[in-house]
Amino acid sequence: MARSLAVQEINTLELIIFCILSIFMLGGSITMITSKQTIFSAFGFLITMLGLAGMFALLDSRFLAIAQIMVSVGAIVVLSMLTILTINSKDENLPKEEHKYKLILLSLIITLPFAILLYKTLSTLPHYFATTKAINAKIVGELLFSKWILPFEIISILLLVAMLGAIVIARGKIFKKEVHK
Amino acid sequence: MSPNPFFLLSVLLFSIGLIGIVSRKNLFIAYMSVELMLSSVNLILATLSKVLGDANGSVMALLLIAVIASEAAIFLAMIIHLYKYYKTLDSDKLDDLKERS
Repeated sequence: MARSLAVQEINTLELIIFCILSIFMLGGSITMITSKQTIFSAFGFLITMLGLAGMFALLDSRFLAIAQIMVSVGAIVVLSMLTILTINSKDENLPKEEHKYKLILLSLIITLPFAILLYKTLSTLPHYFATTKAINAKIVGELLFSKWILPFEIISILLLVAMLGAIVIARGKIFKKEVHK
Repeated sequence: MSPNPFFLLSVLLFSIGLIGIVSRKNLFIAYMSVELMLSSVNLILATLSKVLGDANGSVMALLLIAVIASEAAIFLAMIIHLYKYYKTLDSDKLDDLKERS
């Protein structure tokens, strides 16, 4: 009896944490797509990524949560904020979007049936979690270097190529400076 | 706790990313929306990894994080390059391939 009560309390706690994190994530992502200034949407994106790391921790994927914080928050969001601040776009260089909310509403109406369909498809899966231990770095590392070794190598090549491509594109000597406007 | 709220959350995040990439014209917001859609797929993978009790989903999500990182590098370099030559973040102005009458 006491044990089931403890399980009940843990479930309630998980639900509360889930609600807080999901409010943060949805609020961050809605801020991201609605704000006019780009840096505010970058802040919304940051909050969403932090919430996603919390969700991974809630799902017992501990190594994934750490990797999410290190890569997504520490590298991607900081890099995009640095780019936004480096570009330092004036208001006249930002797109004029008079019908922003109308377009958002229209695309919401178009997207909603697909979202419902996707959710219905996903909710045919089992309604309970398999009780396993936490997925820590040891399990992930063993799988990554035995079964997933070929995708790992391919992704390392992809990262190398992306790095070279980013350097070549951002140097910007590949095109002549002729723009029609 | 059942996995359905996680699925609902990731579907909502995917839809928000889709709405952002369709309805906004700012290049940065398009970039962040693509990242958001990829991250919601990551959340589905992690949830399925717990539902099935199998660590392979987590490994796949880890590899997807690397793909997201490389995509971010390329996309930001492209935005810098486009801003250097067009002096705008408006994706409607990038119409050099459009037929001119």
